[in-house]
Amino acid sequence: MSDDDARLVRAAQSGDTLAMNALLDRLTPYVGRICAPIALSDGDDATQEALIAIFRALRGLREPAALFAWARRIAVHEAIRVARRGSRSDPAELTEVPEPGDPQLAADIRDVLTRLSPEHRAVLTLRDVEGLDEHAAAEVLAIPAGTVKSRLHRARDSFRKAWTS
Amino acid sequence: MTVRWPTADLDPVRRLRALAAGIPGAHVTERVLDEPFAEVWALLADLEGTFGRIEPDMRRIRVIRTDGDRLEARARSRFGMRARFDGTLRPGWCWLQSRFLLIGVAAAPEPGGGTRVALTGGVRVPGRAALVPLGVRRAADRALDRLTALAAGTGG
Repeated sequence: MSDDDARLVRAAQSGDTLAMNALLDRLTPYVGRICAPIALSDGDDATQEALIAIFRALRGLREPAALFAWARRIAVHEAIRVARRGSRSDPAELTEVPEPGDPQLAADIRDVLTRLSPEHRAVLTLRDVEGLDEHAAAEVLAIPAGTVKSRLHRARDSFRKAWTS
Repeated sequence: MTVRWPTADLDPVRRLRALAAGIPGAHVTERVLDEPFAEVWALLADLEGTFGRIEPDMRRIRVIRTDGDRLEARARSRFGMRARFDGTLRPGWCWLQSRFLLIGVAAAPEPGGGTRVALTGGVRVPGRAALVPLGVRRAADRALDRLTALAAGTGG
């Protein structure tokens, strides 16, 4: 977050739509990186819905320096909502998020993501894309840290079993 | 090995919907034209030419300065009012703001063929990101009628 971003937020809040346009340029790739792994094939819809929610709420953002963390929270929740709405009836096969650095993540991340529920994909995205720890992820998702922990991998074998099944 | 995370894309029409959502009073009017994107966008991006036939209130636009995708323009409406616009113009996207007016135009190829065009804009509420929502839908519908006729080669 730069001083320039904070200046753009203040200008947008005071009615300058050119500043809003510039903010949209900056936020779009960031919001897309969060929404795509969570909403998968509905990633474009989720990105649009998240940005609509962000711009509707922009006037209420009290701390311009918190723009990206604030946008991240909205993006994660919108992506989960869109993913649930569009989710196929297949139940998630994986009940835990694989460990950081697990080679299967690099081999075929999309396959791993499709085997997880939208909520688990959100945990994985916050950890591996955003670099958040359990407590920070729990705060974004507005759930107890223990719930995040239970979604994270604690039994590498169970993931491998699901992967190889 | 690098993890190749899925990515999302926001085409210009989706972009316009998002930006308009932050502007109370803004209405987005959309239409799908049969013609390909390049043809449709050429008509909309010609600010000093065909754009003025699509938006008659803006028929006397002169682009004063460009810097990358940013531009400054001056316009005189049919009622004689003058306005200085600042904004951005790039493929599929035109966003122009003056002290009292806002014009937003977006276009994107439609899956399956044709081009989706979206318009927003109107009279700005001073000091706020808001528009006076009077007559904007009708004006946008008429602008899209004129664009449709021009694109189809029947616009005179």
